Amino acid sequence: MVPPEYYLLLSAAVFCIGLFGVLTRKNALYFLMSVELMLNAANINLIAFSLFWGNMTGQTFALFVIALAAAEVAIGIGIILVLYRNFGTVSVTDATTMRW
Amino acid sequence: MVAAFDFVPAIVLLPFVSFLIALFAGKYMPKGGALAGIAATAGSLLLSIWVAISLLGVSGERIHQETIYTWATGIGDQPWELTFGVLIDPLSALMLIIVTLIATLVHVFSLGYMNDEGETGLPRYYAGLGLFTASMLGFVVADNLLMAFMFFELVGLCSFLLIGFWFRRDGPPSAAKKAFLVTRFGDYFFLIGVVAVFATFGTAQFAGPESFPVLAEQAVAGDTSVVNTTFGLEPTQWFTIVGLLVLGGVVGKSAQFPLHTWLPDAMQGPTPVSALIHAATMVAAGVYLVARMYGFYAVSPTALAIIAFIGGFTALFAATMGVVKREIKQVLAYSTISQYGYMMLALGAGSYVAATFHLMTHAFFKALLFLGAGAVIIAMHHNENMWDMGGLKDKMPVTYATFLAGSLALAGIFPFSGFWSKDEILYEAFIYGLNDPLLLGGWVMGLLAVPITAFYTFRMVFLTFHGEPRSETARNPHGFGWNVKGPLSVLGVLAVVAGFINMVPVQKLTGIELDFLTQYLDSGGEGLTYSGYNALLAEYGGYEAGVVGTEVTTLLIAAGLSLGLAVTGLLVAFKLYNVPEPVEHTAKLGQVKDVLYNNYYQDEFQVWIAHRTQSVAAVADKFDQGVIDGVVNGVSSVSLFGGRRMRKLQTGLVTNYAALLTLGLTALLLAFGLLGGWFV
Repeated sequence: MVPPEYYLLLSAAVFCIGLFGVLTRKNALYFLMSVELMLNAANINLIAFSLFWGNMTGQTFALFVIALAAAEVAIGIGIILVLYRNFGTVSVTDATTMRW
Repeated sequence: MVAAFDFVPAIVLLPFVSFLIALFAGKYMPKGGALAGIAATAGSLLLSIWVAISLLGVSGERIHQETIYTWATGIGDQPWELTFGVLIDPLSALMLIIVTLIATLVHVFSLGYMNDEGETGLPRYYAGLGLFTASMLGFVVADNLLMAFMFFELVGLCSFLLIGFWFRRDGPPSAAKKAFLVTRFGDYFFLIGVVAVFATFGTAQFAGPESFPVLAEQAVAGDTSVVNTTFGLEPTQWFTIVGLLVLGGVVGKSAQFPLHTWLPDAMQGPTPVSALIHAATMVAAGVYLVARMYGFYAVSPTALAIIAFIGGFTALFAATMGVVKREIKQVLAYSTISQYGYMMLALGAGSYVAATFHLMTHAFFKALLFLGAGAVIIAMHHNENMWDMGGLKDKMPVTYATFLAGSLALAGIFPFSGFWSKDEILYEAFIYGLNDPLLLGGWVMGLLAVPITAFYTFRMVFLTFHGEPRSETARNPHGFGWNVKGPLSVLGVLAVVAGFINMVPVQKLTGIELDFLTQYLDSGGEGLTYSGYNALLAEYGGYEAGVVGTEVTTLLIAAGLSLGLAVTGLLVAFKLYNVPEPVEHTAKLGQVKDVLYNNYYQDEFQVWIAHRTQSVAAVADKFDQGVIDGVVNGVSSVSLFGGRRMRKLQTGLVTNYAALLTLGLTALLLAFGLLGGWFV
């Protein structure tokens, strides 16, 4: 059996890639993908520990997170669409009209 | 029986409801809210009568006290409770009937004086009347000094609103401001007095075993553990100071010297309001307050002597000014100051019953005189100058008859109501004055004021109603309806008969029991009775009745003197002014007349003081603008400055927020790590 440390390392790596994307990219679509990566990093953790402890709860949670992520993407895509219609771009730096 | 006392709060609330109705719905109502006001005050009157009858039905101690709402309690070892409650005893029940009766009649009269004369702003007027009545009733039923103070202030506010009713003219707003400021000056001392009472006794209840008059008596009797006096003073000295502080409010509201100057100017308000202020509400509040906490004053004879002296002096002082006035309402204004001086004299002389008695009879005949003057003013197309009147008695018989009854009562002519009450005051001041020079001084001044009162009263009557008409309007006076005559008739009857409820002199001469009011006021709860106060006065005040010869000769001397002097004043007025073409005899007084006509230059004196104190006011203004407002403004500018800096954080870039989140998480992890010792 693969020891849990490997899973945790994988999960941390995926999370950091997602975080890097959020911090560096300007395109809203990249943002969405990065957030997905971070969510899935959490999923990896949940399933790894579920396997390790032999407990189904973690896997159930992971299923819920996947469903949630799907919903989130639907809303995110919608927001991006409106963003594009209003500003003619999907760059997050241009939507600054609500700022002080 | 018990049921009646449950309705005591309703007595106060009914006029308050009429205030709300007149204020918010008055302009949609046919008489501008007058009918709601009449219904509410009449309802209060009926409830008050019911309460008074129920009180008579109580055997034993006639007292009902109930705490309705406790709005603050002390914490820790401060057992203070600030409450709203009602206290019904013979005194407050009597006062409730007086106030509600006068208020009802004034509302009815207002139909004739305001509605029929086509005044505008009627909802505001009736709202003011309703609130005025409600505040006074709240003051009357108050069972503690703090609640009394609150309603006392409300009464002052309402008088401000009503005196300044015609705010578009020049005079009324300034008169309203003056009334407000002068009474506020007195109330300032009253407020300190209330705080002092709390600090001294830890309670401000008027009645009951834990009330402050009872505690004061215990302290004077030697048990000083129940009070905290300040500055290391003896209880008696400290109580005198506290009593005088509270007296400040009384002097302001009851228009006693030197704070009487607001009252003549208050004549700028509508005449029914003047009737309400003078007879039942505002001015009566001061005297009522002293009567309410009489047990407290009874143990400090110095305060009482000062009250008596101020009262006697005011009675004489105001009477002299009434002699020369040209306007009918001005004469009445000075007579009010003078009559309240008598009440203060009675209170100071230890005669609680005489003061209450005069408060009652005065309420009836002064309301009558003011409403009568209001009728004359309607008839004269709002000309108040008596020198333009004359000969009105044939054209206005009802007004003349009732006005005459009120004048005879005011002058103290046998057997009208004013005679009985004023005679009792002078008799009591005389017998106790025989052993106390200060009281005797008060009595002499009160006695001197008697002929002057009779003189100016009948000068007014003769100038207004007798002789030949001296102007076109007096020849063809304006008519008025039942709503003017009705209240006048009711009060006219009361002004004649109200004195019969306490004919003490007759009782002393004949032995027939006729002192109903005395017995009634003697039936209250423990420590709130007439005989209870007398015992206190005799024990701690050194009040001892003196006699000239026997009691009967003393009585005859006192009564004979006051009646003889009153008749003399009346006859002089009759001689000088009951002629077809009267002339200004007061002009012969020369410079004295100018001094009197200008009110001894009291107003100028107060203005002079005001100018002298402007620098103090300027400093206070600086403090207010600089320190108080400075602190407030400083706090807000710190917030503004901080906010202006902090908002730079909100860039609108999601990336920055995410970076901050990550940095925060990293910082937290590092902190936990360092503290948890992961890196060691």
